[in-house]
Amino acid sequence: MAAVVTLKNVVKRYVRGKQRVEVLHKLDLSVESGEFLALMGPSGSGKTTLLNLIGGLDRPDEGEVTVAGERIDGLSSGQLAKWRARHVGFVFQFYNLLPVLSAERNVEVPLLLTNLSRAQRKRNVQAALELVGLADRAKHKPAELSGGQQQRVAIARALIADPTLLVCDEPTGDLDRESAEDILNLIKTLNQKQGKTIIMVTHDPRAAAYASRKLYVDKGVLVAEPERTAA
Amino acid sequence: MKYLHLIWAALRRRKARTILTFLSIVTAFFLFGALQTINAGIGSVMDFLNTSRLRVSSRVTLGQPLPYAHVARIAALPVTDAVTPIAFIAGTYQRPNNVQAVLGVDLTAMFKMYPEMHLPPGELASALRTRSAVVVGKVLADKYGWKIGDRIPIHAIGGITRADGSSDWVFDVAGIYDMDPHEYAANIMGQYDYINEARASGNGKDQVVQILVKIKDPSHSAQAAQLIDDTFANSPNQTQTMNEKDFITTILAQIGDISLVVNGVVAAVLLALLFLTANVMAQSVRERIPELAVLKTVGFSDGRVQWLVLIEALILSIAAAVVGLGLAALVIPVVIAAAQLQGVPALHVPPIVWGAGVLAAIVLALVSGVFPAQRARRLHVAEALSGR
Repeated sequence: MAAVVTLKNVVKRYVRGKQRVEVLHKLDLSVESGEFLALMGPSGSGKTTLLNLIGGLDRPDEGEVTVAGERIDGLSSGQLAKWRARHVGFVFQFYNLLPVLSAERNVEVPLLLTNLSRAQRKRNVQAALELVGLADRAKHKPAELSGGQQQRVAIARALIADPTLLVCDEPTGDLDRESAEDILNLIKTLNQKQGKTIIMVTHDPRAAAYASRKLYVDKGVLVAEPERTAA
Repeated sequence: MKYLHLIWAALRRRKARTILTFLSIVTAFFLFGALQTINAGIGSVMDFLNTSRLRVSSRVTLGQPLPYAHVARIAALPVTDAVTPIAFIAGTYQRPNNVQAVLGVDLTAMFKMYPEMHLPPGELASALRTRSAVVVGKVLADKYGWKIGDRIPIHAIGGITRADGSSDWVFDVAGIYDMDPHEYAANIMGQYDYINEARASGNGKDQVVQILVKIKDPSHSAQAAQLIDDTFANSPNQTQTMNEKDFITTILAQIGDISLVVNGVVAAVLLALLFLTANVMAQSVRERIPELAVLKTVGFSDGRVQWLVLIEALILSIAAAVVGLGLAALVIPVVIAAAQLQGVPALHVPPIVWGAGVLAAIVLALVSGVFPAQRARRLHVAEALSGR
């Protein structure tokens, strides 16, 4: 299969106070299309930084980042925004829904950047909510939904523009075990039934077990790559 | 406008704060509309006044009467085209709160001086035939339902009594005049001779509060005014003569530079509002940083997020300004009507005040929104999402 994500010699540094800290050190990574990759590692290891680089939320200081066939490490802020809208869906630990919008309005947000008519947007939103099993909660505000339901809305929002890649940052970190399993099953279904390429950052080995491949980030490097499990 | 619900949602995020800010802006623009309308009203009065009409009053104070004999001497001057004495009876009609003044004038001279006053043919002649006749403005006639032939009793106040000791004066309506602008047709004008004869001795009898003069050459009003004042320079009743415009300007100057005060108040209010709105917008953006970061995450560009914040400020500011100006437009005519101010034109918020108000609202929104919008634009997504 073709690689959807390729990172070559990626270095990322942050300035913290007067210190310049290198978070990722000449990191290489390749993720194939249809893969479900779990990125694990301790806090501060650079997992989220790596995810941000893959998702086009940040740029590396050195090295190449190629995602969905496009070099994104040199793109401007505006170009990256357009690129993200086309290629990446994001799921966060704390859902990051807009609190005053209903579930369907939250899911619709990425479609506002397209030329779809209002009716078409509505149809797509309905389909996405049905996919995550929340069609009957379309009019509810986030505060009226449980954590698991809010994360399902966030997943519907991430999927609505049919992205090449789904990046999930601790998607079950704020959920109880039962809800977490529901969400992980949903993500796995999206990977297996819809062929979505998924990269998930997690602390939780149980969550990582749902992935087809696990990688460990430690102190800014990929320290081990366990063998692939059956997807 | 597919983003409208996003902006609306941002405004609803803190309803109480949005409502209070909205009301603050409404109040400020109500004040802006009301004060600027009064300013414009004063300006329109000034436009109505002209330099061919002179007002002669006492050099001592405006309220000091002049002898009636001055009228004949002014009439004899070569610069004079027409002249009328002005006597003044302050009174009430039917109810104590219906304050109604009656002017005693030379009706023929008065209508010659004010071609903008229109009296149907024959009504002036009819008024001149009846000593107790008055000509009333159409505004008053409509207000009280007066028609020609009606008798209107005026109860004098301020110690103006008739020779028989009574304070009650009765006049016959002989004519109804209108004028342009219509709102100015709000006087009752009787004949000076009748009022002077009927009033008690020593109670303003044979005196005038003012003399109106129409001069032949308006371009020389200053010289004509000087000639009149020179005529009475050695009299115990010296005069001060000014054309209408200068006269009103002098009165207004005694009160203060109204325009400067009004503009100063409005500027202070808008400046205070600017700080308030800027603070509210800054706070609003600060609170929504994670939400703005999410918008950027899903593909909203920096510029688009910046515009969302600016449009939010524009909608809030312009909507509140329009409501404030609308309130001013509704309230001012009611207040003027309730105050029963004779001769005060109906004040409406003029188009220029609407335009200036909306422009001020746009400037307010842009200035107060520019820094929060810049902040939203510069927001680094990864840092914002991680809470840094």
